[in-house]
Amino acid sequence: MNPVLRYAVAGLRRRPALALAAWSVPEALPSALLGLAVARAVDDGFLAGRPRVGLAWLGALLLCGLAGAVGARQVFRALGDLVEPVRDDLVRRVVTGALRAGAAGRADDGAVARLTRQVEIVRDTYAGLIVVCRGFLVTVAGAAAGLLSVAPLVALLILPPFALGCAMFVATLGVAAGRYRAAVRADERLAATAGTVLAATRDIAARGAEEHAAAMVAGPVAEQAAAERALAGVAALRTLCFAVGGWVPLLAVLAAGPWLVGRGVTAGAVLGGLTYVLFGLQPALSRLFAGLGGSGLRFVVTLGRVLEATDRPAPPPRPATPRGYAVALRGVTFGYGRHAEPVLRALDLDLPEGDHLAVVGPSGIGKSTLAGLVCGLLEPGAGTVLVGGCPAVEVPERARVLIPQEAYAFAGSLRDNLSYLHPSAPDARVAAAVEAVGAAPLVTRLGGLDATLRPAELSAGERQLLALARAYLSPAPVAVLDEATCHLDPAAERVAEEAFAARPGTLVVIAHRISSAFRARRVLVLDGTGATLGGHETLLASSPLYRELVGHWTAAGTPTPTP
Amino acid sequence: MTATFGAVVRKGGAGLPVIALSALVGSGVTLALPAVLGRAIDAIVAGAAPGGWITVACGLIGLGMAAEIAGAYAAAASTAGATAWLRDRLVRHTLAIGPRRAGAFETGDLVSRVSGNAVEAAQAGPSAVAAATALLPPAGALVLLAAVDPWLAAVFLAGLVLLGAVLRAFTRHTAAAVTAYQRTQGRLAARLAESLAGIRTIAAAGTVDRERRRILEPLGALRREGADTWRVLGRSSAQAAATGPLLLVAVLATGGLALAAGRISAGDLFAASRYAAIGAGLGSLTGVLGRLARSRAGVRRAAEVLDIPTVRHGPSTVPEGPGTVEFQGVSARSDGGAPLLDGVDLVLPGGATVAVVGRSGAGKSVLAALAARLRDPDAGRVLLDGVPLPDLSRAALRTAVGCAFERPVLVGGTVADAVGLGLSRDRVRAAAYATHAHDFVSRLPEGYDTALAQAPMSGGEAQRLGLARAWHAERLLVLDDATSSVDTATEVRIAAALTGSGGGRTRLVVTHRAATAARADLVVWLAGGRVRAVGRHADLWADPEYREVFR
Repeated sequence: MNPVLRYAVAGLRRRPALALAAWSVPEALPSALLGLAVARAVDDGFLAGRPRVGLAWLGALLLCGLAGAVGARQVFRALGDLVEPVRDDLVRRVVTGALRAGAAGRADDGAVARLTRQVEIVRDTYAGLIVVCRGFLVTVAGAAAGLLSVAPLVALLILPPFALGCAMFVATLGVAAGRYRAAVRADERLAATAGTVLAATRDIAARGAEEHAAAMVAGPVAEQAAAERALAGVAALRTLCFAVGGWVPLLAVLAAGPWLVGRGVTAGAVLGGLTYVLFGLQPALSRLFAGLGGSGLRFVVTLGRVLEATDRPAPPPRPATPRGYAVALRGVTFGYGRHAEPVLRALDLDLPEGDHLAVVGPSGIGKSTLAGLVCGLLEPGAGTVLVGGCPAVEVPERARVLIPQEAYAFAGSLRDNLSYLHPSAPDARVAAAVEAVGAAPLVTRLGGLDATLRPAELSAGERQLLALARAYLSPAPVAVLDEATCHLDPAAERVAEEAFAARPGTLVVIAHRISSAFRARRVLVLDGTGATLGGHETLLASSPLYRELVGHWTAAGTPTPTP
Repeated sequence: MTATFGAVVRKGGAGLPVIALSALVGSGVTLALPAVLGRAIDAIVAGAAPGGWITVACGLIGLGMAAEIAGAYAAAASTAGATAWLRDRLVRHTLAIGPRRAGAFETGDLVSRVSGNAVEAAQAGPSAVAAATALLPPAGALVLLAAVDPWLAAVFLAGLVLLGAVLRAFTRHTAAAVTAYQRTQGRLAARLAESLAGIRTIAAAGTVDRERRRILEPLGALRREGADTWRVLGRSSAQAAATGPLLLVAVLATGGLALAAGRISAGDLFAASRYAAIGAGLGSLTGVLGRLARSRAGVRRAAEVLDIPTVRHGPSTVPEGPGTVEFQGVSARSDGGAPLLDGVDLVLPGGATVAVVGRSGAGKSVLAALAARLRDPDAGRVLLDGVPLPDLSRAALRTAVGCAFERPVLVGGTVADAVGLGLSRDRVRAAAYATHAHDFVSRLPEGYDTALAQAPMSGGEAQRLGLARAWHAERLLVLDDATSSVDTATEVRIAAALTGSGGGRTRLVVTHRAATAARADLVVWLAGGRVRAVGRHADLWADPEYREVFR
């Protein structure tokens, strides 16, 4: 069975489903009794000269309406009990999937929209589907029972073509789903393309590429229009199905009218039969068509996308128990794709415990990749990365801490934010870490450790200060700062870096400014074709790139630069 | 052409008469059918053959189906056509009004106009026809009900008024429950967005499960509020179920009494019950009017963009010249009217590298945008080799002048497309070499053919692609802080390429770096929207206030 339908059926929990079915019986009473009441009111009442009997039958219909109201109320309660757990499950899936995808380095831009929009669409359409399918079954069962009790012959004329119309409609659903899916895809492509083009109006104008850009959008626009026209074809098919299921039964009863009367079927019974068709079966049919053909397709397509996007395996465990925390890279090569030139090639590097290394080089040269490899977030294409003698990808997270450029801050207390990597840390140690990295004035200004943090109100630099304090507090012996101070001014950067240098353990600084190299014990210069390792003085002599980096930095600061 | 409701309706084209005709035919069938069926029933009751009436009914039903199919198809086709037309116009027009006016809109807002509002607006034709014909069936049904028996119409109308009053009371309760639910949902989404922004920290710390619990903490509240929304829905559907049969029963009872009194036939009673059902469609008129209102609003949203005048270009080409740029009494104001540049007179010598420096807010970027004609001055004029920029044709202007930005927005299917925007692969490669983008592009999974979305880039890398995109400029290259995120070593190399291969074109370089200003032939120092000084960096450096600019 289709995984989407399997999910939908498996989501139906037994107790609320039974409650729904049970309360559907009183809810169905009006539609079940409608034709019967009309038939009896006419035959036994109005035509028999006993109008009071006729009115009594119609009064019974009103009472049925009240019973139906009680039923409807309970049906919606049961519906909530059915739908809400499914929504909960989807929310959990979306959140888990988005976090896992992001942690695996495959950022999922649509996750928040999936949580707020797609999950809601599934919730509404799932409920809509249950209501429509159940309503259809209840109405048809009620009408069929009513018809059989009014006149079995009439039922025989009505029910077969009705069933045929339903079957024809179900047969069109596959085609409809395909075309609907195509229309949804076309819509998304259009929005995405229009989004990129309209975000770049300045850049497009600067290049005079207006025609080229308009042509980029024209493709998806035409595709979308074609998809809409294809959907209109499905609607036409549906109208035919309705003719067979809704109108043929009516005409059959009328055509057979004299024959029916000849066999003792009363005028009231004919009238009742037509009433069932026009007031019961036809509305049920059009609701089913609209429900399955509209929200049903929306449900299948949207749920399919949610399930597909959230199907992420749990990350593998990190079972290793490293001895010490010396880092060793042996012949490490890493590239971001099969056809890509490697970013790092046959790199050897030893970081004894307590080392302080700065990594410098032009942007895009693989500095962050190196940080990811040391922290075991990336797996080398060739060679090995060892921490304490174990492969880095198997070493537990507590062995090292990575502070990336984009600092993480969340809505919660300042204390929770700071002790994130060391939840049991006493306040004194938190305060000491804050003091050490130079975040004390910020913490005071924010209102102390108990203050509630509102991340949106922090500047990028303030977020970095908090992230640095958090990392400083962490018990991890290896700290990797990946341009973690890029939004701080040079003086604040110096304070933070010196604090980390004085912290016990190994420090790796991916340098944003060349000044980081002056503070390190050793410097690794990455330049795309190879890597050079050494102290500041050695590198000045041996690495032209390092000389260039350092030289240009000082030239910018000297009062009389050389032209 | 401006987008008016009428213009969009006319764009509906040949489909509109079909929609109108099918609506009329459909209404006729709807109204005629109950009467015909009633006659057939009377014939059956009387023991006569209803054959003639049944043939008529078959014909009517067939006609109704055909009208419905034709009408629905014509409406879809007309909407699809008008939508595509509107979307194309919206995109082209937005690109033609110039970045300054386009920049007044949020991108998301523009996208919603193109993807959402265009569809609503394109319904103008079909929804106008629907509104014009929607009253026919219920009004006709009421007349025919009165024709069967005036009492029926009177009872029906009284019931309708009563029902309307009951239904009005419904809608009020729903809003509060739904609002609470959406608020909690927003809280969940905000927590997820926070965690995703810090995902690298979370990945490194191995705290995915902890984040999961933190984000999902409001889920219990969401469940409770969700249950509330269903309870509210249950209440209103119970009310609907209780009051639903009222109208029909009232008409049936009145008709039944008339039948008993011999005033109407059984067929009449049947027809009356149908007319009551059709007449109840009066309630759904609001839906039709709502659609019309939505499409009017859609047209308005489209017109807000389409009514903005486009940037005009002259017919001229650029005359022979070294690329001299002149600012003559140029002033520019913000949309709010605040002065950005005030009476700037400048001559940038052809072929020179001119650095523009100044504190943030001094007007550097505005000067750059004016030189590249990404905006026009509010007073004064800008000339390139003696020709005012607005006199140049668009093609001539964009071949002569290129502009790169601090935050380039890259657009295109692949990396090559984003750099070339229609230029040949050879020129793309040459530009990428010159701007030192080639190395990292080759390191991408598919090189130049890597999909832009699959090519995560640092700021410095994106800047180098943005520069490569502008590299083709023949006379003037404007760099608006366009290498600020490029590391210093690469920046030096790019600067060398700029003066080397770029000989013969003028370079206007907005910068914050003293080293860049030091390499320039001339420095324009802006302060508060005015030219504070023009000179060589080495000479200006003596001024402590000038040195302050680079702190």
